Amino acid sequence: MLEIRNLHATVEGREILNGLDLSIGPGEVHAIMGPNGSGKSTLANVIAGREGYIVTEGEVLFDGKNLLEMEPETRACEGLFLAFQYPVEIPGVANLYFLKSAVNAVRKYRGESLVDAMDFWDLVHERMELVKMDESMLKRSVNEGFSGGEKKRNEVFQMAVLQPRFAVLDETDSGLDIDALRVVADGVNALRSPERGFLVITHYQRLLDYIVPDYVHVLVNGRIVRSGDKGLALELEQQGYALYNEEPGRARRATA
Amino acid sequence: MNAAPVAQNPFRQQFKAFVASRREPDTITRRRREGFDRFIALGWPTHHQEAWRFTDLSALAQIDLQRPTNVPIDANVLPTLNAPAHRLSFVNGCFAPALSQLRGLPNQAIIASLGQALLTHPDWIEPYLEQLPGLSQHPFAALNAAFWEDGAFLHLPRAAVVEAPIHLIFYSIGDHIGVYPRLLLVLDEGAQATVVVEYRGEGRYLNAPVAELQLGAGAVLNYHQIQEESPQAFHLGGIRIHQQRDSQMNSHLVSFGGQLARVDLEALLDGEHIHSMLNGLSVVDHTQVSDHHLWVDHADPYGSSEQLFKSVLNGKARTVFDGMIHVRQHAQKTEARQLNRNLLLSRQAQANSNPRLEILADDVKCGHGSSTGLLDPDALFYLRARGIPVEQARALLVQAFAQDSLNRISLTPLRERLANSLAHYLALGCIEEQ
Ligand SMILES: Nc1ncnc2c1ncn2[C@@H]1O[C@H](COP(=O)(O)OP(=O)(O)OP(=O)(O)O)[C@@H](O)[C@H]1O
Ligand SMILES: [Mg+2]
Repeated sequence: MLEIRNLHATVEGREILNGLDLSIGPGEVHAIMGPNGSGKSTLANVIAGREGYIVTEGEVLFDGKNLLEMEPETRACEGLFLAFQYPVEIPGVANLYFLKSAVNAVRKYRGESLVDAMDFWDLVHERMELVKMDESMLKRSVNEGFSGGEKKRNEVFQMAVLQPRFAVLDETDSGLDIDALRVVADGVNALRSPERGFLVITHYQRLLDYIVPDYVHVLVNGRIVRSGDKGLALELEQQGYALYNEEPGRARRATA
Repeated sequence: MNAAPVAQNPFRQQFKAFVASRREPDTITRRRREGFDRFIALGWPTHHQEAWRFTDLSALAQIDLQRPTNVPIDANVLPTLNAPAHRLSFVNGCFAPALSQLRGLPNQAIIASLGQALLTHPDWIEPYLEQLPGLSQHPFAALNAAFWEDGAFLHLPRAAVVEAPIHLIFYSIGDHIGVYPRLLLVLDEGAQATVVVEYRGEGRYLNAPVAELQLGAGAVLNYHQIQEESPQAFHLGGIRIHQQRDSQMNSHLVSFGGQLARVDLEALLDGEHIHSMLNGLSVVDHTQVSDHHLWVDHADPYGSSEQLFKSVLNGKARTVFDGMIHVRQHAQKTEARQLNRNLLLSRQAQANSNPRLEILADDVKCGHGSSTGLLDPDALFYLRARGIPVEQARALLVQAFAQDSLNRISLTPLRERLANSLAHYLALGCIEEQ
């Protein structure tokens, strides 16, 4: 459902992604691991359409449609979701109001009527329980004053309410205690279905015990240098990225 | 530059004729003369004067301002509060009884036309009019002292509480006229009132109102001033405030209209345990200017004051915030806070911010801050990444920024009405209440 071919992208004139290929089918969970600064969030931002991330070559197709031509909101309405590595605080916009606006924007895009207030409330309550989020957070401004863990939980909560077809989770596990990690994993697992795809960016093998991936990829210097199954995550945990970090020729051999 | 406007000399002729036409106590005439002499002495402000550096009056100086004439207006053009209220309307500075309505008042409380009261009961007015310090350097307050004809008079005796809001509407209509309305609000010890002053109009006029607000010991005044003058109008208003011990002033200055709107406010906190809250919101577009000059003077200990001013600027608009908190040596344990935040929706817009503290006491808690910036691109992207269209996302963020000011208004019908106007002035279309 997500097809990335030879993707090159620059940020502030610097090439961060250089020739990235990745293909994710419906129902699949892919994990991406890689050292700091290797371009994982850049990939997530390019997929979501953030300003300032300029694609210089290659393509990204979402169900055959050219994703790169779409506005960020169109991508979201087409069923794409990004759980941010650093969720943004938005003072003055209540969480619940924000979420309802988002749900209605997606429904409008699909030609559906505005969400029924009762249905919305039921859905919100059900999903809040899933991620064990406190009701008081709904009335508060989006992420304002939330702890690091609460922000991540709020991302998963939004995902659970919006029910996207494809979700990118950018280090949603970072900064979470063990219980919160479980909650986040449960949130993702509850959405797992034969039609949905996931791209899970993480530094920790631990998360992949809970969200078991079909594939694991190693991203170094803006390219995928190796792919494997979940065993690869264990291997990385033991060996680190040293093997991949040297000159590009060496990395290419590692892929082979 | 514009030091010699067409305006000055005609004022002399006008003043002579005006004073000759009045029948009023000598004390009042004397105060008019003093006002006029002060105007002549101060002269027309130029941008060389620090206080007028960012307020360009050259367009106003080109106008040969005349005395207004009587124009009948339709009641429909006047704003309403959607709640039971005492209502006084003024057209071109003169009381319009047909557009006014007074309800039952506590014993001995007076709400009246200042002009009428001056004829029938000058003894009500004389002790209070022009008695407050402040605005001595303000030429337009001086001009008002010379030319005012009418306005609103409120006097609440000791412990009188007026529940319903007092709605004072000043409508100006016409081109090339100068209107000088006056407000005199006197709250004796322990009295309480909620006042909503609205400035509106049509045409290219100058509205230079002066408000004098006197709060006796323990009095509470919720004061709202909503400026929605016509797009060609000039609004140059002055507010003098005198507060005695334990009194509370909550004021909200909302500025949406006019081509140039400026308010100079001076408050003397003259007693212990006084609270003064000045909340402000300006929304400007095109080449509009909205300017606030505030001076809060803590004269005694244990006072607290806040100045919270926000503005949203689009087009080539400009705002000026010049706020002073002055704490006298004797005013220990003062707590004062000053914050100016400006949101630029266009790169051509400009916000001048000058938050000032002058603290002579050594045991106080005072803080100030100022920020000016564009919409947060990260917040905008966050909303869009959830499917919210870019225009709606912008609207949501701007509304959230400005609504924060309106949320401090506890008078619900007014707050709700202003939230709607806000959406209109921000040209955002309709936005649901959160
Ligand atoms: N908005 C930006 N402005 C400037 N540089 C950027 C920006 N975004 C990313 N970069 C740079 O691009 C490179 C890749 O960053 P990216 O955030 O994609 O790394 P990452 O793999 O997600 O790292 P981490 O594991 O630390 O989250 C880094 O060198 C980073 O400094
Ligand atoms: Mg990252």
